[in-house]
Amino acid sequence: MKKTIITALAAITLVSCGTTKTMGEQYAAMYEEKPLSIAIMPPINQTTHAEAKDFFYTTLYLPLCEKGYYVYSPYLTMEMFQQESAYDAELFLENDLSMFKTVLGADAAMFTIIKDWRRNNVGGRVKVDIEYILRSTKTGQTLYKREGVISVNTSVGSGSGGTFGAIASLIATAINTATTDKVVAGRKCNAFVLSDLPAGKYSKMHEVDKTERAGEPLVKATVK
Amino acid sequence: MKKLLILGTTAILAFTLSSCGSTNSLYSWYDYEDIAYQYNKRTTEELQLKVLEQYKKITDKQKGVRGVVPPGMYAEYGFLLCKTGKNEEGLNFMKKEIELYPESEVYISRIIKQLEK
Repeated sequence: MKKTIITALAAITLVSCGTTKTMGEQYAAMYEEKPLSIAIMPPINQTTHAEAKDFFYTTLYLPLCEKGYYVYSPYLTMEMFQQESAYDAELFLENDLSMFKTVLGADAAMFTIIKDWRRNNVGGRVKVDIEYILRSTKTGQTLYKREGVISVNTSVGSGSGGTFGAIASLIATAINTATTDKVVAGRKCNAFVLSDLPAGKYSKMHEVDKTERAGEPLVKATVK
Repeated sequence: MKKLLILGTTAILAFTLSSCGSTNSLYSWYDYEDIAYQYNKRTTEELQLKVLEQYKKITDKQKGVRGVVPPGMYAEYGFLLCKTGKNEEGLNFMKKEIELYPESEVYISRIIKQLEK
Protein backbone atom coordinates (compact mmCIF):
# COMPACT_ATOMS: atom_id res chain seq x y z
CA MET A 1 0.00 0.00 0.00
CA LYS A 2 2.75 2.41 1.07
CA LYS A 3 4.86 1.50 -1.99
CA THR A 4 1.91 2.04 -4.33
CA ILE A 5 1.23 5.52 -2.94
CA ILE A 6 4.88 6.55 -3.16
CA THR A 7 5.14 5.26 -6.76
CA ALA A 8 1.95 7.11 -7.73
CA LEU A 9 3.17 10.35 -6.17
CA ALA A 10 6.51 10.06 -7.91
CA ALA A 11 4.67 9.62 -11.23
CA ILE A 12 2.53 12.71 -10.56
CA THR A 13 5.62 14.75 -9.72
CA LEU A 14 7.43 13.70 -12.89
CA VAL A 15 4.42 14.20 -15.17
CA SER A 16 3.73 17.63 -13.71
CA CYS A 17 7.26 18.96 -13.85
CA GLY A 18 8.88 17.31 -16.87
CA THR A 19 12.34 16.41 -18.07
CA THR A 20 15.69 15.89 -16.36
CA LYS A 21 17.15 18.96 -18.08
CA THR A 22 17.33 22.28 -16.28
CA MET A 23 15.73 25.41 -17.73
CA GLY A 24 19.24 26.75 -18.36
CA GLU A 25 20.12 23.69 -20.43
CA GLN A 26 16.80 23.44 -22.29
CA TYR A 27 16.60 27.15 -23.16
CA ALA A 28 20.29 28.16 -23.22
CA ALA A 29 19.80 30.78 -25.97
CA MET A 30 17.10 32.47 -23.91
CA TYR A 31 19.40 32.93 -20.90
CA GLU A 32 22.21 34.06 -23.17
CA GLU A 33 20.22 36.74 -25.03
CA LYS A 34 17.94 37.80 -22.15
CA PRO A 35 15.20 39.41 -24.25
CA LEU A 36 13.34 42.17 -22.44
CA SER A 37 10.57 42.99 -24.89
CA ILE A 38 8.36 40.67 -26.93
CA ALA A 39 6.16 41.35 -29.95
CA ILE A 40 3.28 38.92 -30.39
CA MET A 41 2.98 37.92 -34.03
CA PRO A 42 -0.47 37.24 -35.49
CA PRO A 43 -1.05 33.48 -35.15
CA ILE A 44 -0.42 31.17 -38.11
CA ASN A 45 -3.69 29.33 -38.54
CA GLN A 46 -3.40 25.85 -40.06
CA THR A 47 -7.02 24.95 -39.27
CA THR A 48 -10.18 25.60 -41.26
CA HIS A 49 -11.55 27.74 -38.42
CA ALA A 50 -10.86 31.24 -39.73
CA GLU A 51 -11.90 32.94 -36.47
CA ALA A 52 -9.15 31.17 -34.49
CA LYS A 53 -6.45 33.58 -35.68
CA ASP A 54 -8.14 36.80 -34.50
CA PHE A 55 -9.54 35.36 -31.30
CA PHE A 56 -6.35 33.66 -30.14
CA TYR A 57 -4.06 36.56 -31.06
CA THR A 58 -4.78 38.72 -28.02
CA THR A 59 -4.76 35.90 -25.44
CA LEU A 60 -0.95 35.75 -25.27
CA TYR A 61 -0.56 39.30 -24.02
CA LEU A 62 -1.50 38.83 -20.37
CA PRO A 63 0.45 35.60 -19.64
CA LEU A 64 3.60 36.99 -21.26
CA CYS A 65 3.36 40.16 -19.16
CA GLU A 66 2.90 37.98 -16.09
CA LYS A 67 6.10 36.14 -17.03
CA GLY A 68 7.97 39.40 -16.55
CA TYR A 69 8.38 40.70 -20.12
CA TYR A 70 7.56 43.99 -21.74
CA VAL A 71 4.89 42.97 -24.24
CA TYR A 72 3.68 45.24 -27.03
CA SER A 73 -0.09 45.48 -26.78
CA PRO A 74 -1.54 43.31 -29.58
CA TYR A 75 -4.51 45.70 -29.80
CA LEU A 76 -2.06 48.40 -30.91
CA THR A 77 0.32 46.31 -33.02
CA MET A 78 -2.49 44.57 -34.94
CA GLU A 79 -3.15 47.72 -36.98
CA MET A 80 0.57 48.20 -37.65
CA PHE A 81 1.00 44.60 -38.78
CA GLN A 82 -1.88 45.04 -41.21
CA GLN A 83 -0.37 48.30 -42.59
CA GLU A 84 3.12 46.78 -42.92
CA SER A 85 1.75 43.62 -44.60
CA ALA A 86 2.97 41.60 -41.64
CA TYR A 87 -0.42 40.17 -40.69
CA ASP A 88 0.60 36.88 -42.37
CA ALA A 89 3.26 35.80 -39.90
CA GLU A 90 4.06 32.78 -42.12
CA LEU A 91 6.21 35.18 -44.18
CA PHE A 92 8.46 35.86 -41.18
CA LEU A 93 8.56 32.54 -39.37
CA GLU A 94 11.87 31.53 -40.95
CA ASN A 95 13.02 34.88 -42.29
CA ASP A 96 14.78 38.02 -41.11
CA LEU A 97 13.05 39.69 -38.15
CA SER A 98 15.19 42.83 -37.89
CA MET A 99 12.30 45.07 -39.02
CA PHE A 100 10.53 44.33 -35.72
CA LYS A 101 13.60 45.60 -33.88
CA THR A 102 13.61 48.75 -36.03
CA VAL A 103 9.89 49.51 -36.02
CA LEU A 104 8.92 48.34 -32.53
CA GLY A 105 12.18 48.02 -30.63
CA ALA A 106 11.28 44.40 -29.83
CA ASP A 107 14.03 41.99 -28.75
CA ALA A 108 12.04 38.89 -29.69
CA ALA A 109 8.93 37.85 -31.64
CA MET A 110 6.51 35.20 -30.41
CA PHE A 111 5.05 33.07 -33.21
CA THR A 112 2.19 30.66 -32.66
CA ILE A 113 0.97 27.97 -35.03
CA ILE A 114 -2.62 26.84 -34.46
CA LYS A 115 -2.71 23.21 -35.57
CA ASP A 116 -6.08 22.24 -34.11
CA TRP A 117 -9.00 24.30 -32.78
CA ARG A 118 -12.21 22.34 -32.48
CA ARG A 119 -15.29 21.57 -30.45
CA ASN A 120 -16.93 18.17 -29.99
CA ASN A 121 -20.43 18.82 -28.60
CA VAL A 122 -21.41 15.16 -28.13
CA GLY A 123 -18.10 14.09 -26.61
CA GLY A 124 -17.99 17.20 -24.41
CA ARG A 125 -14.53 18.40 -25.47
CA VAL A 126 -13.00 21.65 -26.70
CA LYS A 127 -9.53 20.90 -28.05
CA VAL A 128 -6.61 23.01 -29.22
CA ASP A 129 -3.12 22.16 -30.47
CA ILE A 130 -0.76 25.15 -30.59
CA GLU A 131 2.97 25.45 -31.15
CA TYR A 132 4.86 28.40 -29.65
CA ILE A 133 8.14 29.66 -31.14
CA LEU A 134 10.03 32.65 -29.75
CA ARG A 135 12.70 34.03 -32.09
CA SER A 136 15.31 36.72 -31.52
CA THR A 137 14.97 39.83 -33.70
CA LYS A 138 18.72 40.42 -33.33
CA THR A 139 20.24 37.04 -34.15
CA GLY A 140 17.22 35.28 -35.63
CA GLN A 141 17.84 32.22 -33.47
CA THR A 142 15.02 30.29 -31.83
CA LEU A 143 15.02 31.09 -28.13
CA TYR A 144 12.07 28.96 -27.05
CA LYS A 145 9.91 26.30 -28.68
CA ARG A 146 7.12 24.28 -27.12
CA GLU A 147 3.79 22.76 -28.13
CA GLY A 148 0.57 22.21 -26.20
CA VAL A 149 -2.30 19.84 -26.94
CA ILE A 150 -5.00 20.81 -24.48
CA SER A 151 -8.55 19.46 -24.16
CA VAL A 152 -11.12 21.14 -21.98
CA ASN A 153 -13.62 18.64 -20.64
CA THR A 154 -17.04 20.28 -20.85
CA SER A 155 -19.11 17.22 -19.96
CA VAL A 156 -21.88 17.64 -17.41
CA GLY A 157 -23.32 14.92 -15.15
CA SER A 158 -27.10 15.06 -14.61
CA GLY A 159 -26.90 13.76 -11.07
CA SER A 160 -29.64 11.19 -11.68
CA GLY A 161 -29.23 7.66 -12.97
CA GLY A 162 -31.07 5.57 -15.57
CA THR A 163 -31.87 6.26 -19.22
CA PHE A 164 -33.40 9.67 -18.46
CA GLY A 165 -30.30 10.68 -16.50
CA ALA A 166 -28.01 9.61 -19.37
CA ILE A 167 -30.03 11.60 -21.93
CA ALA A 168 -30.13 14.64 -19.63
CA SER A 169 -26.34 14.43 -19.24
CA LEU A 170 -25.88 14.20 -23.00
CA ILE A 171 -28.03 17.28 -23.61
CA ALA A 172 -26.41 19.27 -20.80
CA THR A 173 -22.94 18.32 -22.12
CA ALA A 174 -23.84 19.35 -25.68
CA ILE A 175 -25.19 22.73 -24.48
CA ASN A 176 -22.24 23.38 -22.17
CA THR A 177 -19.74 22.47 -24.92
CA ALA A 178 -21.52 24.59 -27.54
CA THR A 179 -21.56 27.62 -25.24
CA THR A 180 -17.94 27.23 -24.12
CA ASP A 181 -15.87 29.71 -26.08
CA LYS A 182 -12.98 27.91 -27.77
CA VAL A 183 -10.71 30.72 -26.62
CA VAL A 184 -11.00 29.22 -23.12
CA ALA A 185 -9.01 26.22 -24.35
CA GLY A 186 -6.54 28.60 -26.02
CA ARG A 187 -5.98 30.43 -22.73
CA LYS A 188 -5.48 27.16 -20.84
CA CYS A 189 -2.98 26.08 -23.50
CA ASN A 190 -1.06 29.35 -22.97
CA ALA A 191 -0.98 28.72 -19.22
CA PHE A 192 0.32 25.16 -19.60
CA VAL A 193 2.92 25.86 -22.28
CA LEU A 194 4.22 29.20 -21.03
CA SER A 195 4.62 27.95 -17.47
CA ASP A 196 7.97 26.71 -18.74
CA LEU A 197 9.08 29.98 -20.37
CA PRO A 198 12.11 31.43 -18.54
CA ALA A 199 11.03 34.50 -16.56
CA GLY A 200 11.70 37.99 -17.87
CA LYS A 201 13.34 40.98 -16.22
CA TYR A 202 10.25 42.14 -14.32
CA SER A 203 9.76 38.82 -12.55
CA LYS A 204 11.44 37.85 -9.30
CA MET A 205 12.20 34.51 -10.96
CA HIS A 206 14.39 36.16 -13.62
CA GLU A 207 17.64 34.15 -13.83
CA VAL A 208 16.65 32.34 -10.61
CA ASP A 209 14.65 29.77 -12.61
CA LYS A 210 17.75 28.73 -14.58
CA THR A 211 18.41 25.76 -12.32
CA GLU A 212 14.81 24.58 -12.18
CA ARG A 213 13.77 21.46 -14.03
CA ALA A 214 12.44 22.13 -17.54
CA GLY A 215 9.18 20.73 -18.86
CA GLU A 216 8.68 18.44 -21.85
CA PRO A 217 8.72 20.11 -25.32
CA LEU A 218 5.22 18.69 -25.91
CA VAL A 219 2.55 19.18 -23.22
CA LYS A 220 -0.64 17.13 -23.38
CA ALA A 221 -3.39 17.61 -20.85
CA THR A 222 -7.12 17.40 -20.29
CA VAL A 223 -8.54 19.97 -17.91
CA LYS A 224 -12.02 20.62 -16.55
CA MET B 1 0.46 5.12 9.97
CA LYS B 2 -2.53 6.18 7.86
CA LYS B 3 -2.24 9.74 9.24
CA LEU B 4 1.46 9.76 8.39
CA LEU B 5 0.74 8.72 4.81
CA ILE B 6 -1.93 11.44 4.41
CA LEU B 7 0.47 14.05 5.82
CA GLY B 8 3.24 12.85 3.49
CA THR B 9 0.88 12.91 0.51
CA THR B 10 -0.23 16.47 1.30
CA ALA B 11 3.36 17.65 1.73
CA ILE B 12 4.53 16.10 -1.56
CA LEU B 13 1.53 17.49 -3.46
CA ALA B 14 2.13 20.94 -1.96
CA PHE B 15 5.79 20.74 -3.00
CA THR B 16 4.82 19.57 -6.49
CA LEU B 17 2.40 22.46 -6.95
CA SER B 18 4.76 25.07 -5.51
CA SER B 19 7.68 23.86 -7.63
CA CYS B 20 5.63 24.19 -10.80
CA GLY B 21 4.96 27.90 -10.46
CA SER B 22 3.81 30.71 -8.28
CA THR B 23 0.26 32.04 -8.03
CA ASN B 24 1.31 35.60 -7.20
CA SER B 25 0.34 37.92 -10.05
CA LEU B 26 2.76 40.65 -11.04
CA TYR B 27 -0.17 42.92 -11.93
CA SER B 28 -3.89 43.42 -11.18
CA TRP B 29 -5.88 42.93 -14.38
CA TYR B 30 -9.44 43.00 -12.98
CA ASP B 31 -11.84 41.94 -15.82
CA TYR B 32 -9.65 43.37 -18.56
CA GLU B 33 -8.99 40.08 -20.38
CA ASP B 34 -12.66 39.17 -20.88
CA ILE B 35 -13.93 42.67 -21.59
CA ALA B 36 -11.13 43.54 -24.04
CA TYR B 37 -11.75 40.21 -25.79
CA GLN B 38 -15.49 40.98 -26.10
CA TYR B 39 -14.68 44.48 -27.39
CA ASN B 40 -12.31 42.98 -29.96
CA LYS B 41 -15.15 40.73 -31.15
CA ARG B 42 -17.85 43.43 -31.16
CA THR B 43 -16.85 47.09 -31.20
CA THR B 44 -19.89 48.69 -29.55
CA GLU B 45 -20.10 51.92 -27.55
CA GLU B 46 -21.29 50.01 -24.49
CA LEU B 47 -18.24 47.73 -24.58
CA GLN B 48 -15.96 50.68 -25.25
CA LEU B 49 -17.18 52.28 -22.00
CA LYS B 50 -16.55 49.03 -20.16
CA VAL B 51 -13.01 48.79 -21.56
CA LEU B 52 -12.31 52.38 -20.51
CA GLU B 53 -13.56 51.53 -16.98
CA GLN B 54 -11.09 48.64 -16.86
CA TYR B 55 -8.20 50.86 -17.99
CA LYS B 56 -9.07 53.34 -15.25
CA LYS B 57 -9.11 50.62 -12.60
CA ILE B 58 -5.83 49.09 -13.81
CA THR B 59 -4.01 52.42 -13.96
CA ASP B 60 -5.47 53.69 -10.64
CA LYS B 61 -5.27 50.63 -8.40
CA GLN B 62 -2.46 48.11 -8.70
CA LYS B 63 -2.32 45.40 -6.06
CA GLY B 64 0.06 43.10 -7.95
CA VAL B 65 3.55 42.09 -6.77
CA ARG B 66 5.24 44.86 -8.78
CA GLY B 67 2.79 47.56 -7.72
CA VAL B 68 3.02 49.30 -11.10
CA VAL B 69 0.80 49.48 -14.19
CA PRO B 70 1.33 46.48 -16.55
CA PRO B 71 3.24 46.90 -19.84
CA GLY B 72 1.14 48.39 -22.62
CA MET B 73 -1.76 49.54 -20.43
CA TYR B 74 -1.00 53.28 -20.37
CA ALA B 75 -0.48 53.07 -24.13
CA GLU B 76 -3.77 51.25 -24.81
CA TYR B 77 -5.69 53.60 -22.51
CA GLY B 78 -4.09 56.66 -24.08
CA PHE B 79 -4.72 55.41 -27.60
CA LEU B 80 -8.42 54.78 -26.95
CA LEU B 81 -8.81 58.19 -25.27
CA CYS B 82 -7.27 59.84 -28.35
CA LYS B 83 -9.68 57.88 -30.55
CA THR B 84 -12.59 59.24 -28.51
CA GLY B 85 -11.42 62.84 -28.91
CA LYS B 86 -9.57 63.26 -25.60
CA ASN B 87 -6.23 63.90 -27.27
CA GLU B 88 -4.38 65.75 -24.53
CA GLU B 89 -5.27 63.24 -21.82
CA GLY B 90 -4.57 60.35 -24.18
CA LEU B 91 -1.13 61.61 -25.22
CA ASN B 92 -0.19 62.12 -21.57
CA PHE B 93 -0.93 58.45 -20.89
CA MET B 94 1.16 57.40 -23.88
CA LYS B 95 4.07 59.43 -22.54
CA LYS B 96 3.63 57.75 -19.15
CA GLU B 97 4.10 54.40 -20.91
CA ILE B 98 7.53 55.51 -22.12
CA GLU B 99 8.45 56.86 -18.66
CA LEU B 100 7.56 53.60 -16.97
CA TYR B 101 8.87 51.33 -19.74
CA PRO B 102 11.70 53.03 -21.68
CA GLU B 103 11.93 49.95 -23.93
CA SER B 104 8.58 51.00 -25.44
CA GLU B 105 9.94 54.32 -26.71
CA VAL B 106 10.65 53.34 -30.33
CA TYR B 107 7.11 52.18 -30.93
CA ILE B 108 5.09 54.50 -28.71
CA SER B 109 6.92 57.59 -30.04
CA ARG B 110 5.85 56.57 -33.55
CA ILE B 111 2.22 56.36 -32.45
CA ILE B 112 2.45 59.71 -30.63
CA LYS B 113 3.86 61.35 -33.79
CA GLN B 114 1.00 59.92 -35.87
CA LEU B 115 -1.60 61.12 -33.36
CA GLU B 116 -0.10 64.60 -33.13
CA LYS B 117 -0.32 65.14 -36.91
